Amino acid sequence: MTALLAAWYDLRDLSGISREITEWVQGWGPEWLASALSGLIGSLAILAVVGPTLLLLIWVERKLIARIQVRYGPNRVGPRGLFQPVADAIKLILKEELVPRAADKWLFFLPPVLVFIPALLVWGVLPFGPNMQVADLNVGVLYLLAISGTNVLVIFIAGWASNNKYALFGAMRVIAMTISYEVPVVLSLLAVVFFTGSMSLNGIVQWQQQEDLILLLLLPLAALTFFIGGTAELNRTPMDIAEAESEIVAGYHTEYSGMRFGLFYAVELLNAFALSALMATFFLGGWWLWGLEEWVPSWLILLAKTSMVYFVLIWLRGTLPRLRIDQLMSFCWKFLVPAGLLFIVVAAVERTVLLETDWDRTVALPVMAVINAAITLAVVVLYARTAGGPLARLPHAPIMARGRVGGLRAARELAEAAGGGD
Amino acid sequence: MDSVGYHLAFWSLAVISVGAALGVVVSRNLIHAVIFLILAFVGVAGLYLVLSAEFIAVVQVLVYVGAISVLMLFAILLTPRAARDNAETSMRYPATILMGLVTAAMVFVAVETDWAAVLDDPVAESPRVIGQSLINEFVLPFEIAAVLLTAALVGAIALAREDPEDAPLHDESLAMEARRPGPHGPGPSPDDGDGGGSA
Amino acid sequence: MTIGLEHFLVVGALIFGIGLYVALAKRNAIAVLMGVELMLNAVNLTLVAFGRFTVTDVALSTQVFVMFIIATAAAEVAVGLALAMVVYRNRDTISVDRINLMRW
Repeated sequence: MTALLAAWYDLRDLSGISREITEWVQGWGPEWLASALSGLIGSLAILAVVGPTLLLLIWVERKLIARIQVRYGPNRVGPRGLFQPVADAIKLILKEELVPRAADKWLFFLPPVLVFIPALLVWGVLPFGPNMQVADLNVGVLYLLAISGTNVLVIFIAGWASNNKYALFGAMRVIAMTISYEVPVVLSLLAVVFFTGSMSLNGIVQWQQQEDLILLLLLPLAALTFFIGGTAELNRTPMDIAEAESEIVAGYHTEYSGMRFGLFYAVELLNAFALSALMATFFLGGWWLWGLEEWVPSWLILLAKTSMVYFVLIWLRGTLPRLRIDQLMSFCWKFLVPAGLLFIVVAAVERTVLLETDWDRTVALPVMAVINAAITLAVVVLYARTAGGPLARLPHAPIMARGRVGGLRAARELAEAAGGGD
Repeated sequence: MDSVGYHLAFWSLAVISVGAALGVVVSRNLIHAVIFLILAFVGVAGLYLVLSAEFIAVVQVLVYVGAISVLMLFAILLTPRAARDNAETSMRYPATILMGLVTAAMVFVAVETDWAAVLDDPVAESPRVIGQSLINEFVLPFEIAAVLLTAALVGAIALAREDPEDAPLHDESLAMEARRPGPHGPGPSPDDGDGGGSA
Repeated sequence: MTIGLEHFLVVGALIFGIGLYVALAKRNAIAVLMGVELMLNAVNLTLVAFGRFTVTDVALSTQVFVMFIIATAAAEVAVGLALAMVVYRNRDTISVDRINLMRW
C-alpha cells in the first residue's frame, strides 16, 4: 500500500507526474530543457485548471444568482443549461468587433489581452498542495500585491484608449477605488505575515498546519478587511461603481464589443475565483484541513474551500445593492484603514508576546483568538453605532412572512393553485 | 551564468528595457510615452530577477508600475491636452551631445575597467536579510525615509489642494463666483483641467 | 560569452543616457520627471548589479540602498507632480521653457 502511494500516480500530489517527467528528461537531456519543461508543465497545469473552471463558473454564477432572485437562470442549452457558457462564447466570437473611429488604435487592442496576464500570474504562487506550486517565491505576498497593482494600469489603458467619456470615468473610478482599497488589503496581509513570519504562500499554509489553527479564527478583523478590500478590487456588484450601468453605461469596457468584451467578463470571474483561492489560502488553511489532506487530495480541499468563499461572493452579489462612490471611499478610509492600523498594532504586540515569553502556544494562541474576536466585534459595533450613520428607522414593524412565500417551489405551488380550476 | 535561459532572459530583457526607454523619447504622445516608461520599468524589474534580487524586483513593480506611473497618468490627464505632444525644447541638440558624451564615457568605463567581479551563490531568503539589516545597520536611514515619505505626503496634498479662496487668476468671473457666499455655499470651483472626457 | 558585470553596467548606462536626454530636452514638466525616473532606475540597476557581483560587509546592503532610492523616488514624484499641477494652475502651462518667471 505504501509503495502504491507516494509514486507518480498518487492522486494526492499531482506534482509527482511533473517530477517524474523532469527527472526522466534530466537523465538524457540538457539541464535547461528539464527546467523549461517543468515550467511548461506548471503553466499548462494552471491553464488546464483555469480554462474549464472559467466555463463552469459562468454557469454557476448565473444559476446561483438566478436562484437568489427567484428565477430559473439558464436552462435551455444542454442539461440544466450547463452548455450556456459555450453558447455565449460562440455568440460573442461571431459578433462584430467595433473599434471607435476616435479610439487610440494600438492601445485599444492591448487591454483585453493584457488583462489576462495578472489574472493568470496569480495562480503561479498558489499552493495546491505541499509540493504542488509552480513557484514558491519567498516574496509571494508582495508578488500578489504587485500583480494586483498592474491590473489597474490595464484598466486605465482600456478606458483611455476607448476615447469615450464614460470609459474614462469608469477607469478613473477603478483607479481611485483600487488604490484606496489596496491599503487595507496590504495591512491585513501584513498582519498575516507578522504571525506566520513568512511571505511565501506555502509557508503561511504550513504555519497554520503547524499551529493547528486557521488564521480566520486568529485574525478575524484582518480576514474581514481582506475580504472586503478584495471584493472592492474585483469590481463586483456591491462595489461595481466602475461599471455601474445606471450611471456610466458599462465603465471602462463601454466601447468593447464581441469577444473583447467577453475577455473582460471572463477575467472578472477569474479574478473573483482567484480572490476566493487566496482567501482560502491565507485565512482558511489552504490545502490543509486538520489531517484530512492525508486521505483526500489536498488540491480538492483547496478547491472546496475556494468554492465556499466564492459562494459567499456570489451571495453578496445577488443580495446587496450597489454602493455610491462616496460611501465606498468613506467606508475604506474611515473604517477599514483605521481598523487595519489597529489590528496591526494588536498583531505586533501578540507576536512579540509569543516570541519573548515561553508560554504554551496551544493555550496562548486560542486566548489571542478570543481577544481578537472581541476586538473585532467591538470595532464593528462601534463603527456601526457611530460613524456608520443612524440605523434606518422603519415606519412600522416589518410584516414577517408566514408560511412559504418565496422561492421557486412556492411560485410553482401558487401557479398550480391558481390553475387548479382547469 | 552560462545557461541558455540566462542568456535569453538577459538579452531579451535588456532589449526590452532599452527599447522601451527609447520609446519614451520618440513617441509623439505623452500617454504612449508613459506606457513605454512602464514597459521599461517592467524590463528593469526582470533584470533584477536575473540578478536574483527578487525582493527588489517585486518592490519595483509594486512602486513604479503600480503607483508612480498611475500618478503620472493622473497628472497628465489633469494638465492641458496641448502639452501632450511630448515635444522637445530648443535644448534638444545640447542635450543630445551631452547624452552622447555621458553615455559613451560610462560605457567606456564599464567595458574597459577590469572589474574584480566575483560571483557566488545568491543570498538565500533575501527579504529576511534585507528586513533585518533595515532595522539593524540602517535603522536611522529607515526612520528618515519614513519621515521623508510622510513629509512628501503632506507636502503633495498641501500643494495640490485647491482652495476656493485663491482660485486661479486667469478666470476672474469664476473666481468671483467662488468667493460669493450663495445659498448653496461656495460655487463650483473652476476646474481648469480637461481631465474629463476626450471627445 | 558569459554575461558578467559589464553587461548590466552597459544596460544601466544606456538607460541613464536616455533618461538624461528626456530630462534635459523634453518640454512637458511631467516628461522631465519621467526622465528623472529613468535615470534613477538605471542607477538602481547598476547598484543591484554591483551588489550581485561583489562581496559587501553587510549582506545585501546594495539592495537596501536601492530600497531607499525607490522610497525617495516615490516621494520625489509625488511632490514633483503636485508642483507641476500648481505651476499649471498658476501659469496656465507646464512647458518648462515657458516657466521663465525667475529669469532675469
